[in-house]
Amino acid sequence: MINPMVEIKDYSIQLGTFQLNNINLSISEKEIFAVLGRTGSGKTVLLESVAGFYRKFSGAVSLQGKPVVDIPLEKRQIGFVYQDFGLFHHMSVYENITYGLKIQRKDKAYKKEMADKMAEILSIGHIMNQYPGTLSGGERQRTALARALILNPKLLLMDEPFSSLDPSTKEMMYQQIKKIHKIFGCTILFVTHDFNEAQRMADRIGIMVNGELRGIRNSADLFEDCQDQEINQFLLGGYERRIIV
Amino acid sequence: MKERFSVFSFFEIFTIIITIIVIIFTSVLILAIVLKGLPYLGQAFYSEEVRFAVKLSLYTASISTIICMALAIPTAYALTRTSFPFKKVCQMIIELPLSMPYLVLGLSLLIVFSSDFGKALKELGFKVVFDKNGIIIAQTVVNLPYVIRFIRTAFQEVDERLEFISGSLGATKWERFITITLPLSKNAIITTIILAWSRGLGEFGATLMLVGATRMKTETLTTSVYLNLATGDTGASMASATIILIISLISLFLTNWIGRKNPQESRMKDVNQ
Ligand SMILES: Nc1ncnc2c1ncn2[C@@H]1O[C@H](COP(=O)(O)OP(=O)(O)OP(=O)(O)O)[C@@H](O)[C@H]1O
Ligand SMILES: [Mg+2]
Repeated sequence: MINPMVEIKDYSIQLGTFQLNNINLSISEKEIFAVLGRTGSGKTVLLESVAGFYRKFSGAVSLQGKPVVDIPLEKRQIGFVYQDFGLFHHMSVYENITYGLKIQRKDKAYKKEMADKMAEILSIGHIMNQYPGTLSGGERQRTALARALILNPKLLLMDEPFSSLDPSTKEMMYQQIKKIHKIFGCTILFVTHDFNEAQRMADRIGIMVNGELRGIRNSADLFEDCQDQEINQFLLGGYERRIIV
Repeated sequence: MKERFSVFSFFEIFTIIITIIVIIFTSVLILAIVLKGLPYLGQAFYSEEVRFAVKLSLYTASISTIICMALAIPTAYALTRTSFPFKKVCQMIIELPLSMPYLVLGLSLLIVFSSDFGKALKELGFKVVFDKNGIIIAQTVVNLPYVIRFIRTAFQEVDERLEFISGSLGATKWERFITITLPLSKNAIITTIILAWSRGLGEFGATLMLVGATRMKTETLTTSVYLNLATGDTGASMASATIILIISLISLFLTNWIGRKNPQESRMKDVNQ
């Protein structure tokens, strides 16, 4: 049997007063999985846990069958796009994007070629020489995406990656990410607040409620009624709001 | 922009008066040295003794600063980025000398280097007691806890998630340190270098205990102030003091200038300053 890309087993972690409680999730290779949930429900902590950010926890997180904390960070081949982007503010956009290639000691021509390719996909060619401090929110987001995507990671973890983009740019990004996903066959785990986005992008969707991952379902069945009242409430609340807006 | 001229409250006036008193007191101290010392400054440069002291001070302070940095950067990294048993205790031991009088530190140095260990070192050709090596060691020991604390704080302020991202992009721990942690604490490190250097120049207590005050042999600028005053040569003493003051002023200016200069562009640059 082939090992799933991500396997989380009975995973719990305590951070201050917050607890991520008994998470079980398996994401197969090339799958796109979306995580929905109220603010503060633990979505970012879940993503960081998959990336192996934390050391003190119970249970297990494995990437392709290997415990994530046993793989040296630099060998995990994960792309992580943080909610606040985590750009290196002492480097220009170009240096940010080509950082991973510089670490791999790729030559200048190759870096330039790859950066141009990314710039075209994400339309950020015009800001290559700017520093992160001067960028708009959407430009930062796309820079962070480019920096992660340029290495073709096996696993792409994105925390609300499209939240500060306008509808038409968002639309374009959906298509580009889908295209990248198709070409490179990476596995994607991402967080979003947008039900529509989750359904458009993901194969499956999980809903976080108070540190628990509940109601994992196929994205087509997102609004299906279930026993869990909190989930129904969360989904319905969002649905009503959508209709009103 | 309506309230351009705010009326001072009593409390504000009180703080301003206190500030003025502090400023007057400090200025008097500085002026005392400058006014007394300036006339002797010219002749001091022709004095072989003062020239010797300047050279010795610059030399020892530079070397001790280099040693301090070489020891402090790895230590600060270990203290902020690795976990090992009894870390808190280690940190306390490292910072203990911060609260110790330099005279006492000098005394413990003297005890260590006059022991059999010190004698063995001397046999091997490394003289410490009554030697300029001793000056370097005294300055290093006095400065090291400060330097470690500054650099540790600088490393702590670097967002560890940036290092995590750097690692996820393939960088080893060493590469993360070189490309992220170190550049992001660059300003603090430069400031620390200047501070360590000027503190090294001003060191006296520990140096005196370890190497004594021998004219033209272990005579640093501060020792020169002391020696010349003791022998009644106020002029030479004042001249050396003025040179120390000038060096301190330059380093103070440099630290402020580096602190203000922000290499990373920001959209807030007009708002913040
Ligand atoms: N290191 C930490 N120490 C203490 N509490 C933490 C820590 N990290 C996260 N938390 C808490 O855990 C909870 C979940 O945080 P998390 O960032 O995962 O929320 P989220 O679901 O991503 O929310 P949002 O949608 O607003 O981004 C929050 O209440 C947060 O304050
Ligand atoms: Mg979050």
